[in-house]
Parts: sequence; structure tokens; C-alpha cells
Amino acid sequence: MVTRRSLLGVGAAAGLGLGAAALAGCTPGGRATAQNSPAAAASNKSISKLGPVTITLLDFWSGDTAKWVTNTLKAFKTKYPNVTVKRTSIDWGQLVQTANLRLKDPTPPDVITVNNGWQSLGVLVKAGLVTNLDNFAKLYQWNKFPSTILRQTEFSPDGKKMGEGSLFGTPVSNSSLIGIYYNDAVLKKAGADIPTDFAGFETACAKVKAAGLIPIGYGSEDKGPNTAILLQLQDFFGAADKINDFVYSTGTVKAADIGMKEAATKLVEYNRKGWLTPNYAGIQSADAIDAFQRGKAAFQFQYTGSYAFTPAQQQTFGYLQLPQPGSGKVVGTGASTAVSMSSKCKHPEVAAALLDFLAGQQCAQYVVDNGLLPLLHQVQGPSNNPEFDTEIKGQQSLDRDNGYVPYFDWSTPTMLDTLAGQVQLLLAGRGTPDSLVTAVQKDYDKFQATR
Amino acid sequence: MRAAAAGGVGRLPRPGRSKRARRRRWLGLAYVAVPLAFYLAIVIQPLIATVNYSFYQWDGVSPATWVGGRNYTTFWSTPDMAAAFGHVVVLIVMFGFIPLALGLLCATLLSRATVKGQSVYRWFLFLPQVLTTVVVAIIWKRIYSPDGPLNTILGLIGLGALRRNWLGDFTWALPSLGMIGVWGGFGFTMLLFLAGIIAIPTELFEAARLDGANRWHEFRYIILPSLRGQMAIALTLTITGALRTFDLVYVTTQGGPGNATTTPALLLYQLAFVNPSVGQASAIGIVMAVLCMIIAVVITRVVEGRDK
Repeated sequence: MVTRRSLLGVGAAAGLGLGAAALAGCTPGGRATAQNSPAAAASNKSISKLGPVTITLLDFWSGDTAKWVTNTLKAFKTKYPNVTVKRTSIDWGQLVQTANLRLKDPTPPDVITVNNGWQSLGVLVKAGLVTNLDNFAKLYQWNKFPSTILRQTEFSPDGKKMGEGSLFGTPVSNSSLIGIYYNDAVLKKAGADIPTDFAGFETACAKVKAAGLIPIGYGSEDKGPNTAILLQLQDFFGAADKINDFVYSTGTVKAADIGMKEAATKLVEYNRKGWLTPNYAGIQSADAIDAFQRGKAAFQFQYTGSYAFTPAQQQTFGYLQLPQPGSGKVVGTGASTAVSMSSKCKHPEVAAALLDFLAGQQCAQYVVDNGLLPLLHQVQGPSNNPEFDTEIKGQQSLDRDNGYVPYFDWSTPTMLDTLAGQVQLLLAGRGTPDSLVTAVQKDYDKFQATR
Repeated sequence: MRAAAAGGVGRLPRPGRSKRARRRRWLGLAYVAVPLAFYLAIVIQPLIATVNYSFYQWDGVSPATWVGGRNYTTFWSTPDMAAAFGHVVVLIVMFGFIPLALGLLCATLLSRATVKGQSVYRWFLFLPQVLTTVVVAIIWKRIYSPDGPLNTILGLIGLGALRRNWLGDFTWALPSLGMIGVWGGFGFTMLLFLAGIIAIPTELFEAARLDGANRWHEFRYIILPSLRGQMAIALTLTITGALRTFDLVYVTTQGGPGNATTTPALLLYQLAFVNPSVGQASAIGIVMAVLCMIIAVVITRVVEGRDK
């Protein structure tokens, strides 16, 4: 029997079906057209003659650690009094996840901090949402920056190749690295020296363990931060150019050739020797950081900027960017924040001047004054902060050897999750260095097949 | 009855009735027009758009590529998808059936017995429901940590061998998450059942007592049949809630260790916002929505069928 209820149901279903059918002809993102971003014309001559200009900046820098941004923008205003930079700051996660939609908006921010990699800047380049900066790079001579840093924001204009082609973002004078932090007080207690090379690091770990202390502070419960140790170990064994080529998907390098297996083998060895914090599988990264600062371990593999050392701690803690045991060259995972210009920006010459300013010497000094790690320029560190001096020294060794490798998770959209899960499997004895490498290669191949 | 007197028949003439009825119907439609418009804009339109997205390969901004039903045909080969649905089955048991049983037990005890300060117990048991999931997750992360209260208590009562890294253990991470659901869910089911039991006429219990029924008989033949409606609601909400589990996993384990606690909603989030692959994410969303609807219909039908 046909009831009113069933009629309503049929009507609703038909409505949905018709709606879906009507929309089926509606291609999300608009009709496909050949996207190819030509370089924007560059000129800086007329900025001061433009009259009052307002440009918008959307970034994630906030709180006390962002004083350098405020100072840089003040200095920019002094240089260009006719330019007003209207700044908005939001949480990093929110920024990364909404950057594409914000730039797609009819009134997008003129300048925006973006995440690197296929899934972030790559998507923006492919959609033609950010400006090709090649001509501005010539104008401002951005080629003076390390090529390994510039490569991080290079894409082919059609967005199909990463790490080569045109420049779609510039670095700022602030860097973030992965390295090894040490606590000299713990090392002294164990009778160990501050290591100057990889062998010295392992000798120190053995001594700390023998003294009944924890050599490496670690927590692997949350995915993502748990990979820092593997990535730094990889930097000891993988050739920088090969890691770069793998991440940038040149197709010439396999996961087995980038030091990943050696790194995983070392991690298993450290675990077997009991060098990692007991019960690390149930410890969150933030708790591991806190424990390390409270003197519970001798070393910690960590991202720079993760600690807030007190003046007393600044005297005993330090940072190591050790050279590779094979080549003697310093290779390290490091990057700057990438800043891009919207392709709809009405004053590209003004926005480019801001990009240049954010990558400038003066900005680098503000960064250091703010207690953060600089990039691109030699600057004077603060007095009486030996810990920070070691970080600057480490960063300068990477500059010297041009040894930056990009964050490994830029290689595919799913790589960070894959790697983080594999580290957990490896340490739980449910995976091997070989299976980790296989999983990385599989993730890579799968993404390449869909690219 | 003017019409009946005039026409000599017991039926109202159609024209008069239909005029009034038509006016009433338009009035009714006018009342619901605004909420209906909101519903269409907020629920139906995005639903249709999501169905549309699910037939494309799309990064969210570039022009999309039509892939037909590929996002559905390759659904189970999406990495971790089969495992994620396997985990959901465990969570359905722990978020749905265990709270149902515990809620029933607590509601029966609290409604029939005269316990001193029982409103305090009710409040205490319902407390997890008023906390947001993020707060609950943070509390339980602390409870489950290696030096947290759970391991400390196990050590104190001589069960030190059972201490472990609850959320970091491949075997125990998922049941540990499930226990958070039990804790959070049974206050809700208890309150629902309590309201149901209070609504049962006391004469039924008195009559049963006169017929020699004991507490078990009361539970089996009065309370349980009277709570069918509430059980349907509780099961529908908790089971669909388990299927949609995201925030608890995201805050505690992000699907780890390995992929031991991934859920379809977590994969959807990763595909929609991290990767981004909006088409695949939409397909997951549609499959989850259809499953939720089927579950709701089945549960309602089963209960309604029994009532008939």
C-alpha cells in the first residue's frame, strides 16, 4: 500500500537524486584549463610613489615569539611610510588546512605563510593561486640564499614538479631545524664529554647508560613528533642530494638509497640497548620535552624552538648539528617558513618588497633578539646564552656546507603518518628496518602513480 | 451539522473541507518555511554537493577530474580503511552495548532502591556526558600514562604485572579508547533508562508483587519491555557515535600506534584536510552516512516490529 509516509520518502529520495544529477554536471573547482603561472613582472622603483597602499598579511606567528614580526613590520613601515601592512595571525593547523580556500577567495590575503610540499604549496601552484616570483628573485637577488633552501619552494609553473623550476615562495630569516639537544649536567654526572662527532655521541650514550641514567629522552605516543629521531639519524647516513631528490620526487632515487634503513637500524639498536626513555610508547612528545628539560635524560632529538630554557638551563643545555660519520659534511633537516604572494595581489611589487624584507638582515637580527634561530644571514647572538649560541653555530654549519634537507614528509601527502606509524611498529618489534623502507617506498610509489 | 442536514448524508461536502484544509496546509507550510530553508541550505545542499564531490578526484581548489564510481570501487583499498572499519566494530561494542548494559543496571538499581544521596550518584554518573570529548580525552591520557593513576593503582594492589603503556600498546590501545567510551556513554544511557523507568506506572510493580514476582521478574517482564523505545534511542545514538568517532582518537593517539586505532572519520579528516583528496574523503563521508541511516532504520524497525 502506498502511504503518505512512503510517498514523502520517495519524494525526498527523488529530490536528492535529481539534485545530485543536476550537480553531477557541476565540476568542483571549475572547468579544467591549462594552468601555467608565468613569472609576474617585477619592479620596485615606484613603491614610494604609489601613494597610500594597504597589503594584507596572513601568518601563524603569534605570542611572545612573534615580536620579531612586529619589529620587522615596523621597520618596513619606516622604509615605506606609504605602505600599511594589515596583519592577521591564526593557528598553524588552521592556516595550513584553509590556505587553499582562503587564496581561492575573491579577496585573498596578499601575502601568506604556507606549508611546503605537494599537499600544500604544490596544490596552490597547481591551482594558480600563488605568484611566480622568478622576476622578483632576479630583482632582489634571492639567488644569494642557499640553493637547498630556495629549492624547497620551487615548482614547475604547471605544479607538476617540485624542487625545480620557478620560485613560488621565499624563506624568512628564521629557521627550524632538527638536531640533538644535550644536557651537560647529566653528561658530567656520567663522566661523558659533549660529543663533537657521531662516534662521540654513541660513546656518551653508552657512558650515560652505564651510569644508570637515561641517554635519550623520547616519547613516541603521538604520531609526527616521534619521527624527529629517525629523520636526524637519517641525516647522518643519507647523502643530502639523494634525500633532496627523493623528497622532490625526481624519480631517480629509491627509499633504500637515502639512509633510511641505516637510521632505522640504529634506532632499533638504541632501543635494544635501552638508551631510550623507559615506557616511551606511552609518553607524549610534550611530556618527553618537559622531562628532558627537568634533567631526566642526556640527549634528545628534537625540533629547534621546542624548548623554553630558563637562564640557568641556558648555561647547561646545548645543541648539536654533528657531521656525517662518512663524509664529514653537516647534513640536517631544516627549513624556513615559506611566504607566498597571492596571484590576485593588486600590488605585487609592494608584496615582493615585503617578502624581501622578511628575508632580510634586519629581520634576522630581530629573530635572534627574539631568541629564535636565524637563517640566511650572519647575526650577533644574545650575550650570556651559551645554549642559543650552540644552536646558531649548528645552523651556520648547515649554511656553510649547504647541507639542508627538506622535511621528509613533504615527499607525499601521507608520508608523515606512514613514517610515524612505521616508527611505532619498528620500536614495538612489529616491523623491521626493511619493512619500514618498503612502506616508505610503497607510499611514495602510490602517490607518484596518482600525481 | 449543517452539511449533514442539508445533504442528508453523513459526510461533509468536499468543497468546504478542502478550502479550509488547503488554507491550513499553506499556513503549516508557512510556519515551516524558514526552518526548512535553513535545513535545505545547511544539510541538504552540502549533502548533495558531497555526493557530487565523491565522483571526482579533487584537491579542493584545482579543477576536479571526473572518476565516476572509482572512489567507491577502490573504497576498501584506501590505506587502513578495512582496519578502520574493524576498529569501529570494537568501538560499537564498547560505546554501544556495554554502556547499554551498564546503564540498564545502574538505572534499575537507582530507581527501585532507596539509596541515601542517590541524586548525587546520578549526577556523578552523568558527569562525563557534560564534558566535551577533548576534555575527556585529556583526562584519560593522564590516567593511562605510564606513571598515571591507573598504573599506580595496579602497582599498589599487587597487579604490577598488568601495568603497561595503555595508549601506546598495539594490543591495548583500542580497548583503552573503548573504555573511555564506556565511561562517557553509560551516564547517558542510565539517565535515559531512569526517565523511562520513572514513567512506568507504579501499579504495575504493585500488581506484580501481589502475583509473587521478585526483583528479577520485575526487571524481565516490566522494566525491560517498557524501555524498548529508550534502548532504540540509546543504541542508535551510541552506535552511530562509535561509527563517527574522531575527536577522541585525534586527541589521544592520532590513529596510532601504527594504525591500531584508526577510524573512518580520522581517515576522512586526513583525506579532506591534510592530503587533500576531497573526492575520496567525500566517498567515506557518504558511506558513513548511509551506514548510519541503515543502522538507525534497522534498530527502529526491530523495536517497532516487536511493539507491534
